[in-house]
Amino acid sequence: MKAFSLHAIIVSRGLAALLRECLGSLDRAMEPIRGRGWTTGVTVVDNASTPPLRGQLDDAPAHDILRFDTHHSFAAACNAAAQAHPADLYLFLNNDVLLHKLALHHMAKVFEADRRTAVCGTRMVFPDDTIQHAGVVFGPGEKGPYHDHRKEASLLVPRITRDCQAVTGACMLVEGDIFRRLNGFDEAFPFGLEDVDFCLRVRQAGHRIVCCQETDSLHFESMTPGRVELDIPSRRLFMERWKNRYTVDG
Amino acid sequence: MEGWKSGEMNYYLIPGTGIYGGIKVAAGFAEALNRLGAPCCLATPDGTAPAWFQASVATVSHDTALASARVSDNILFSLPHDYPKLKGTAARLVFHCQGTDPLIDPILADPNVALLSCWPQATTYMRDKSGRNPIEVGLFISPCFFYDGAPKLHGTVAFMPRRGRDIAAACQAALPNLRFVPIEDATEADVARVMKSSEYYLATAVNEWFGLPAFEAMAAGCVVLSVPAIGGMDYLRNDSNALVVEPEQLPARLAWISADERHDIRARLRDHAVATAHLFRPAEFHRRLTTLLKSELSYLQT
Repeated sequence: MKAFSLHAIIVSRGLAALLRECLGSLDRAMEPIRGRGWTTGVTVVDNASTPPLRGQLDDAPAHDILRFDTHHSFAAACNAAAQAHPADLYLFLNNDVLLHKLALHHMAKVFEADRRTAVCGTRMVFPDDTIQHAGVVFGPGEKGPYHDHRKEASLLVPRITRDCQAVTGACMLVEGDIFRRLNGFDEAFPFGLEDVDFCLRVRQAGHRIVCCQETDSLHFESMTPGRVELDIPSRRLFMERWKNRYTVDG
Repeated sequence: MEGWKSGEMNYYLIPGTGIYGGIKVAAGFAEALNRLGAPCCLATPDGTAPAWFQASVATVSHDTALASARVSDNILFSLPHDYPKLKGTAARLVFHCQGTDPLIDPILADPNVALLSCWPQATTYMRDKSGRNPIEVGLFISPCFFYDGAPKLHGTVAFMPRRGRDIAAACQAALPNLRFVPIEDATEADVARVMKSSEYYLATAVNEWFGLPAFEAMAAGCVVLSVPAIGGMDYLRNDSNALVVEPEQLPARLAWISADERHDIRARLRDHAVATAHLFRPAEFHRRLTTLLKSELSYLQT
């Protein structure tokens, strides 16, 4: 079985304390795959934090910092970090996600089992144990993409790992070659839906997208100030580009 | 096709996204291929995806598919009109037959086109014309049609007026005590909802290639009265799982079967119909396709 190199990329604008927790959970989640011979690395993209993150994360597990003095889109920040760190697989992770210790173990198994898999997401819950993410589905007309089972009790949602049209970029494991071949996330998106846009392009190229359901990681969601305002132009762009060009499964 | 190597990508070329059974069958086949590990995109003229039924298959434009298709890829199609423009592509062509119009004969005569059929009558036609054995992949009924105990509205007759409007109108004129519900331009979910709440379904399309709606109505627990179909006759058994009736006799047969005292016959027809519909469960279709993808259709796999 091939031992992959995995590089995790976390874009953060401030929120050092939460980021420290995120890095700790990531390190614990990486242990099982390091045990299988995978090599791992972590880059924190400091997206113009004030004050800068460097110096605030000294007690966190090992990581590099890529600093931007001006604010970059999520897509641009991720692409820059990926370009700086060639790897077999990238894990894009939000700074407000606390990974379950076995989340990466299950996601890695998906890649090891089927070489058609290009993207893998994982189930995430809110602090009240309702679903934050269990895969993205698409509604008709203006409804567009949305999180399947959102706010349903996680206990009541089946644990069967399944293919999806898209998964959230808040925790997304991506095959490196395919990420590079598709030119990464589209930097035209200010913030949000660049992940879904990427997934739709991945599927047009014939690859699988899978969402693991075995574990519940925690996602506080949209903790970064100003993020919601950037969602609106992103959604407009997404619908201009994709409306009526995806099949309806939600 | 002996000697063919596994493909990289499958494109299923469809002529549009409108409400036609062939579009749904194509998308369902593409979807099943994906689920079973054979990558497949739908290709529509402008890249628009059909939105009137549930699916999760990716969609690209004809131009994108034709420009991307390489020697190791497969292009599936079911409309004979697409054949001339596809002949020039590098990809292998796979004809997924959904109707035995003689227009398909030149395709059947082309030894470089792989042949798939959806039902036995098409298999026989293709074998006779081509001298080859097409692979019968079958069809399935979407899960939303299978009867789930929804209340039936007494005396309700569902029908699709697009083909056979006059036949339905004759029934309507002869039987004013029944409530006729036309199904037109409806999403698959709405069609299923109407069928599940109807007691009867009139299949009025004369010479339908297969007549999938009649089988969907069977799954939905309707008593089906159908004019003779072409491919569907392998499964429609008169007086067993349906009443197969010449168009001019449809009003009289509907009057006969809807009489109060025929409740036991209606129950028998419904039970047999539901049993017939179960032959077309998606799980059955997937089981068959799984086997084929490991053998005759391995060239569709990556």
